[in-house]
Amino acid sequence: MNKKAKNVILIILAFLIVIIEMIPILVVISNSFKRDIDIFSSTPFSTNFTLKSYISVLKDRTFLRGIKNSLIVALISSAFSVIVGAMASYGITRYKFKGKKFVAYSFLTSRMIPQISLAVPMYMLFRSLNLLDNVFSLTLAHISFNIPYVIWLLLPFFAAIPKEFEEAAKVDGCGEKKIFWVIFIPLVSPGLVVSFVFSFIMSWNEFLYALILTNIRAKTAPLVVNAYLGQYAPMWGKLSAAGTLMLIPAFVITLTLQKYIIKGLMAGGVKG
Amino acid sequence: MSLKNKKKRGNFPLFFLMPAILSAFVVLIFPIVYATGLSFFEWNLVSTQNRAFVFLKNYINLFKDKIFWSALLKQFGFIFIAIPIELVIGFFVAILMNRQFKGVNILRSLLLLPVFILPILSGLTWSFMLQPEYGTINYFLSLIGLKQKAFLAYPGSAYAAVVIQDIWRMWPFMFILLYAGLSTMPKELEEAAIIDGANFFEKLYYVIVPYLKPTIVMAILLRTIDALRIFSEVYVMTGGGPGNGTLLLSLYINKQAFEYFNIGYASAMAIILIISSLILTRFLIKNSFDLGESYE
Repeated sequence: MNKKAKNVILIILAFLIVIIEMIPILVVISNSFKRDIDIFSSTPFSTNFTLKSYISVLKDRTFLRGIKNSLIVALISSAFSVIVGAMASYGITRYKFKGKKFVAYSFLTSRMIPQISLAVPMYMLFRSLNLLDNVFSLTLAHISFNIPYVIWLLLPFFAAIPKEFEEAAKVDGCGEKKIFWVIFIPLVSPGLVVSFVFSFIMSWNEFLYALILTNIRAKTAPLVVNAYLGQYAPMWGKLSAAGTLMLIPAFVITLTLQKYIIKGLMAGGVKG
Repeated sequence: MSLKNKKKRGNFPLFFLMPAILSAFVVLIFPIVYATGLSFFEWNLVSTQNRAFVFLKNYINLFKDKIFWSALLKQFGFIFIAIPIELVIGFFVAILMNRQFKGVNILRSLLLLPVFILPILSGLTWSFMLQPEYGTINYFLSLIGLKQKAFLAYPGSAYAAVVIQDIWRMWPFMFILLYAGLSTMPKELEEAAIIDGANFFEKLYYVIVPYLKPTIVMAILLRTIDALRIFSEVYVMTGGGPGNGTLLLSLYINKQAFEYFNIGYASAMAIILIISSLILTRFLIKNSFDLGESYE
């Protein structure tokens, strides 16, 4: 076989793999534009395009409140984690102090602690503080995985900045805090954006804490999506429409942040 | 920097680290200490009896708990089946995509999508596709004349379905890390092998795999830690059933804590799960995350 023919075959193979990989996502999206009756018919190719599921989902107060809660929890926990995490990351990379390695590795380690293990004591704590089903306590829970993640993701960003920058700033009479805010924060801003986006996605996808720590008021969108499954008659149309809407952030980041995604994944994946 | 300067900076690391350390105390350290404490008590939230200090009894009972062992076994089975398959697929697709052709960038982006998808949406979608009457997979099976099956109704096939769901979602994770590793590989290495007359498999064995080894180790460890705490996708797909067919560790803890309300017993398991992932994380740190000179 000549080289060109071989190449063509390999390219076709690559396309095939991607198409097969996309099937489950296409199934969700196509179900979201179908009537339930067509979803329950045995052929996946029935076409009766409708926006009914979207309309009923967007009219559903529970789902809208879920989205609102998800947004609040994700935005606040990510913003807080990025600020606090950036400070810590800066402290670790730019200073010498005793026990530094221990501190740095402890933060990495804590990112790897299984959520269910923290969920049990958190449930008991929030229960005794009357903070179950509360957006604030859910945000706290999300901070437990977002802060370590941000710190670890930002370490290389801070480390990459040459010492001369801060020395020059010091000569100009900049104080320690000012150096951080005025010199470093703008320089690591790509890292800040990436860590914010990844934290956001982790919170957005998070299900376990929401399942255990919330009930009605603080319920997040993934729980509402799951509830469409129902006890007896699954509402696949609504489920798919809501699920497709929730996919939008994933679409946006995979298309825009490709360059940074590897760094983000190496800092410990994106699972909520 | 002069010595004097260094000294003067002495108080500042604390200033920058304090907010993170304080937060960690509230949301990580305190809960872990509290869980450790809880694990020494027999405490059922629905029973009228008060909690009783039983020291290690929960841990001893765990050893005698058949469901715990089966959950552990299923967890490790999951790790040993899913991760190697994900690695192999990711590896070969990384090699396949490591060439320039039109559209390769779009293909690569598309492959990232499953990794970022909501885990519960993945679980729900697979359970839809596996439905006996209207599921997509059964439709295709019926096209080639096979009988429709209720995949999620039997422990064995439900377990397989859970594993396949994970493979579908996470092989691209392996792919992207290995692809990143491959793209940094010096061209000369490959060219030298070709000049030496190496065929594809020799090239793999002597050049590509050794070069990618650190990336492979790190990818495996990251996925293993991830697989140890898998929860939501399995929870929405099978709820741990049928029977206890897909009851992995996290699901069993959840069941003990929030269905039976055995808080002490669940905490003992939670602590064991934490210890296991800490051990794995140590390997990860040793092998993959080097803080390097710049952090010393």
